[in-house]
Amino acid sequence: MPHLNAAYTLARYLTKDVSEAEDATQEAILRAVRYIHTLRNDGDARAWLLAIVRRECYGGRRQRIDTIAFDDVPELQLVDKGTSPDTAANRSILQHRVREAVSALPDGLRETLILRELQQCSYDEIATITEVPLGTVMSRLSRARARLAESLANLVTFEEGYG
Amino acid sequence: MTGPTPRPLGEVMREALPTYEAPESLRAWARAQAASEEQWQPRARARPSLSRFAYAAGLVAALALGWSGERIYRTRTDSSDAQKFLITALVDTHVRSLMADHLTDVPSSDHHTVKPWFAGKVPFAPNVPELQAQGFPLIGGRAEFVAGHTAAALVYARGLHKINLFIWPSSTGESGAPRAAYDGYSLVHWSDRGLTYWAVTDAAASELDAFERAFRESSQ
Repeated sequence: MPHLNAAYTLARYLTKDVSEAEDATQEAILRAVRYIHTLRNDGDARAWLLAIVRRECYGGRRQRIDTIAFDDVPELQLVDKGTSPDTAANRSILQHRVREAVSALPDGLRETLILRELQQCSYDEIATITEVPLGTVMSRLSRARARLAESLANLVTFEEGYG
Repeated sequence: MTGPTPRPLGEVMREALPTYEAPESLRAWARAQAASEEQWQPRARARPSLSRFAYAAGLVAALALGWSGERIYRTRTDSSDAQKFLITALVDTHVRSLMADHLTDVPSSDHHTVKPWFAGKVPFAPNVPELQAQGFPLIGGRAEFVAGHTAAALVYARGLHKINLFIWPSSTGESGAPRAAYDGYSLVHWSDRGLTYWAVTDAAASELDAFERAFRESSQ
């Protein structure tokens, strides 16, 4: 049941609250029913639903639009600092820190990063869902990754690559 | 000693960040929205003649069930109708088992408890390995009747995901694609010593491959 879970997952990351996430998902489904006639192409159903979920999560709040354009956003490669072996304990510390760092990101950066890395949406889909130009998606993604790199700096190092 | 291997940030994120399953109450509610429309038909063909409301109800069903118009089968080779039916039944049974209180009849991580429980309930003695060490803790077992087979269902976990392993005696001439995907669920199938195995999960297909390896190795 990928769409419903994807919708609920996005809501969990945007609201950071279980019951708010449920409410937002439920409202989104009601809205999806009401506005289904605006959906042109079945293949866009997931992105379309995620856009509705996002709007419900923010309760109609509008996101500030910035317009710095980037051609592509370098993917960051993490390198363990090498002094400690890749044990389960180290791994779980890293995972914990990733969660904290993502949770601490501002809404605009967090939603972009989650849609890209966790839900693996295309840049175009993210632009549609988050209602910003493509260039903004790129710059947000770049900034979100940079912030994450900063937060995790004492655990891992980063190299730039394209992915 | 080799240096540390660079890993993409995205990979690390996907490992660290959970994806959430919509709670059953929400899923049931969404399903009820769909069920309230009695004239449910495949959307793609029926769209022009359906009222807006009927179409909307169809979409809710599609969203709730992850349909994209029609249910999607994907296997490495063409599936026969019989196998499609089987896959549908397996996935439906898996989904039903995840609803409240249906997952196990015998909840136990101890194979000495789970294995004897099947005596008298299924006409064979399933092997019940504990795969905790390989990352698939045993959750329990239950008896199932799936697609005409009296089956043992073993339940294992992979993180937050559940794996249902259905086991029944093989019948002659049984074959088919060893891998399948359906409605976002992954399936893997093998036969061993007269028993047919089908594992179903919403975890990644690669996890299921690892599960099959772990199960078969511990059954040697």
